[in-house]
Amino acid sequence: MRTSTANIASAILTYGFVGLMAFLSVFPFIWMALGATNSSIDIIKGRLAPGEALATNIANFFTLVNVPLVFWNSAKVTIFATVLTLAVSSLAGYGFEIFRSRHRERLYRAMLLTLMIPFAALMIPLFIMMGKMGLINTHIAVVLPTIGSAFIVFYFRQSTKAFPSELRDAAKVDGLKEWQIFLYIYVPVMRSTYAAAFIIVFMTAWNNYLWPLIVLQSNETKTITLVISSLASAYYPDYGVVMVGTILATLPTLAVFFFMQRQFVQGMLGSVK
Amino acid sequence: MDIFARAHLSRIAALALASASFLAVTAAEAKEITIWCWDPNFNVAIMKEAGARYTKTHPDVTFNVVDFAKTDVEQKLQTGLASGTADALPDIVLIEDYGAQKYLQSFPGAFAALSGTVDYSGFAPYKVEVMTVDGQVYGMPFDSGVTGLYYRKDYLEQAGFKPEDMQSLTWDRFIEIGQQVEAKTGKKMIGLDPNDAGLVRIIMQSAGQWYFDKEGKANITGNPALKAAVETVGKIMSANIYKPANGWSDWVGTFTSGDVASVVTGVWITGTVKAQPDQAGKWGVAPIPALSIEGATHASNLGGSSWYVLESSAEKAEAIDFLNEIYGKDIDFYQKILQDRGAVGSLLAARSGAAYEAADPFFGGEKVWQNFSDWLAKVPSVNYGIFTNEADLAVTAQLPALTQGTPVDEALKAIDAEVAGHIQ
Repeated sequence: MRTSTANIASAILTYGFVGLMAFLSVFPFIWMALGATNSSIDIIKGRLAPGEALATNIANFFTLVNVPLVFWNSAKVTIFATVLTLAVSSLAGYGFEIFRSRHRERLYRAMLLTLMIPFAALMIPLFIMMGKMGLINTHIAVVLPTIGSAFIVFYFRQSTKAFPSELRDAAKVDGLKEWQIFLYIYVPVMRSTYAAAFIIVFMTAWNNYLWPLIVLQSNETKTITLVISSLASAYYPDYGVVMVGTILATLPTLAVFFFMQRQFVQGMLGSVK
Repeated sequence: MDIFARAHLSRIAALALASASFLAVTAAEAKEITIWCWDPNFNVAIMKEAGARYTKTHPDVTFNVVDFAKTDVEQKLQTGLASGTADALPDIVLIEDYGAQKYLQSFPGAFAALSGTVDYSGFAPYKVEVMTVDGQVYGMPFDSGVTGLYYRKDYLEQAGFKPEDMQSLTWDRFIEIGQQVEAKTGKKMIGLDPNDAGLVRIIMQSAGQWYFDKEGKANITGNPALKAAVETVGKIMSANIYKPANGWSDWVGTFTSGDVASVVTGVWITGTVKAQPDQAGKWGVAPIPALSIEGATHASNLGGSSWYVLESSAEKAEAIDFLNEIYGKDIDFYQKILQDRGAVGSLLAARSGAAYEAADPFFGGEKVWQNFSDWLAKVPSVNYGIFTNEADLAVTAQLPALTQGTPVDEALKAIDAEVAGHIQ
């Protein structure tokens, strides 16, 4: 009897806490979805019911914003950044773990230290570099500085510690070259790591704001984050339109997350075999 | 063989002709002026209109208006100027008046001086003061935030006040009226965001003073206008005739919802007031109340911004000529932007146009734009200095203490200490 009351009490606490957390994380999404259906004035007044302005908001968003171009820009930047970051940083993480050298740890620590420098401090020198290379207002300038990601290198090195060295030895015995081992053994085995890293890099690149803002100069090169920022900061922002934009901007990340989540689990199962 | 050669020849001729015309086009290549500003429905749209007008008479000049968020424009401008990468900057940029001195003084030589080209005597004097450094005037005055007292005629009538009673008020009288309005209608007199020092700034500038004196030195403890402004806001709070608002949208909601009887702010709010068709005919506009100190007036300003030409611009001459031709002279342009966008420019001559002459049925047939234009010319000139935003934060930090009985002089000392920390 006593245990069952204690059980009920703990269940109430657990579900109460979980419910509260779920509410805190889901509420902004609900608010965003409801906001997209209401007029700006209703949103300011705090209306929390579905409204009738969805079609108007969508139409206004599409007249204010060159949607295909903006999404194409965002997609281009994100895809290049993701593919290149994964390629370069996973190679680096693999190298750091597999190959021994006298300076390995010192170099690795120096690289990790760069994680502590805020981007705002690197911005102006980076901007001058891009200016000297004539890359201002190009998507190359947006992608380049993100490729060598210290965090992703760190992430791959940590995960490589779990990569069985027997596999590598066996591959060597079979006569595979170093690049073949990486490409045919390491990459498939580390699928789960790649999936998780993909999500992280994709989200960072898609949501990247400060650097594209600094380096992109024209309406033709702007990414979706910049467009939404400028919509939201008008003297009288049309919040309904901003909500439509935010929903559209969230969709790709959401899709990637759900899609990769399955990959992630499959990858985990695959690597056990 | 012969036929082949002939065909070949004609092809070459066509190619030569095509490249000749191509070269001709490049020779008359259009000059493009790039402009950065921040509100798609306001200054971006207005700049596109201005550009279209200029292109009509100067077909070789086209415009590329790029919109970023206001803070983004500032961030990009700061980075571009600090890095010295000239090709990263636009030809013309919009800067908020409160921040203008910061850019002009921090980056000497970065902006083109327009004295001698633009006839500044035609503009509201306080707008010109904002962009003057060492006697040189930079920039083209754009939108004004000349202030007015918007009031609900219906609520005030219920409380026994006619529009005549709302003219030439003092702030003490304003608070008395507010108390009677609340007693008779249950409505608060004004919406107030305790984290926004806008009202303090309005009252202070109406008496010709600012956080900084003409030399840019802090002017806080010995500033009678600031003292009176802080006292006035304190009185409004302790008389409890205000509806508290949390942030901009909430503050706008205090009057769009009909919860308060008046609004004291810049003319740019007119569009928002008029966006409530059910309130048509219920609003009136009067000059803002004045302080009872020396130099007090009924005219002030809140916000506003101006255009600046970058010295490094490759199209500098065209950019200056464009601003001067449209913003400096085109009265018809000012009618168009008032009608379409509710923008009140700073060119005083604009008042003679049809849009400024029109009576507004929303305000019961008052000629509100003529009134605003009168007040525009009377706004006292002050030096916004480099640290207006920092001083603002110091003021809002002290507002709650005032309502709890802290003496005003002590609050001013605290503000002074904080501002001094920034200037050093």
